[in-house]
Amino acid sequence: MPVSCLRTFILLLSLLAIPVQAGQQLTPIPGQVPAPDFTLQDTEGRQHRLSDYRGKTVIINFWTTWCPPCREEIPSMNRAYHSLAGDDVVILAINMGEDEDTIFIFTADYPADFPLLLDRSGEVIAQWPVKGLPTTYVIAPDGTIAYRAIGGREWDEAGFLDLIRELKQ
Amino acid sequence: MAVLFRQYSLLVAGLLFAAAACAGVRHSVNKDNGLRGWDFTDGDIEIELIQRLPDQTRALFMNHEFSREVIEQLALSCMFQTIIRNTGRSGSGQPVSVDLTQWRLQHAGKTRGILLKEPLLASWSDTDASEAAKLVVRWGMFPTQQEYLPSDYNWGLTAYGIPPGAEFDLEVTWTEGGTPHGATIEGIVCAPDVDKLK
Repeated sequence: MPVSCLRTFILLLSLLAIPVQAGQQLTPIPGQVPAPDFTLQDTEGRQHRLSDYRGKTVIINFWTTWCPPCREEIPSMNRAYHSLAGDDVVILAINMGEDEDTIFIFTADYPADFPLLLDRSGEVIAQWPVKGLPTTYVIAPDGTIAYRAIGGREWDEAGFLDLIRELKQ
Repeated sequence: MAVLFRQYSLLVAGLLFAAAACAGVRHSVNKDNGLRGWDFTDGDIEIELIQRLPDQTRALFMNHEFSREVIEQLALSCMFQTIIRNTGRSGSGQPVSVDLTQWRLQHAGKTRGILLKEPLLASWSDTDASEAAKLVVRWGMFPTQQEYLPSDYNWGLTAYGIPPGAEFDLEVTWTEGGTPHGATIEGIVCAPDVDKLK
């Protein structure tokens, strides 16, 4: 948008005082949709079953190492993971189709302290309404999908952390 | 009260007019690699197309189990790094929906659809691409249909099936809050192949 257009647009918006939400958003998912259950192994060889985390808030992130916005959001997701320690929040990042070695090399540049799960054949992602990567779902403690984000986000933004913590209440 | 309402209505009209008047395409050239970009905005939608060299596509797919023929097919299909987002700048909160099956490109006097991943995947045998390699295309190429709420975006490859260096116009369509919209992005140019860079 040309600068003059942008100025006009911003001026009109400020005059109207329309409550445009600045920055990024999460999309609330209405209707208490249950999250599809799965069991996957992580890069450390541990099994994770989603339904075992009932009672906790779970962030499910679908990603690959070769997807630029997936890479971009890993650092903020790691910071969010540490900020939410003690809040009964679990982050499970499900990698699409790659092996442990590829992910191990990737994490040298993009450290992630939360579990990185392996969906080598794409069977799990096929059970979820994902069309592009990254896509992230926030699962409420009752096992229903609370929020969705298509594309990357800055996950350690204070507003996001508050939304995620509120799900436990 | 009536005066206030009239002022508010004028401001709303001005805002809508400004948004409509400012729709358009920005062109860019990456000063490091010379690749060109087209950034289209209208209402809450933003569509960004960035040239992708055939060699970049070869490099991506050579790391996976594709036949040499398939890698060349993909590399020479005029791929663009593509980002579509709902900017949410209108404040309406309305979803933006995109269906790539409705997009049309005009090239050499003909109009046709763009290349989509579903027919590509269906056309390959097991010797053309392993199942793991097909996952890279399934998730690396742009979603054929998608709905974007404010802040949502996808980032992926779109392909147009015309030769490196070719120029085309792209008719894009989308809906915003269920209302159909369309525009033509003119003069898009596929990245040249490596032999044309010298």
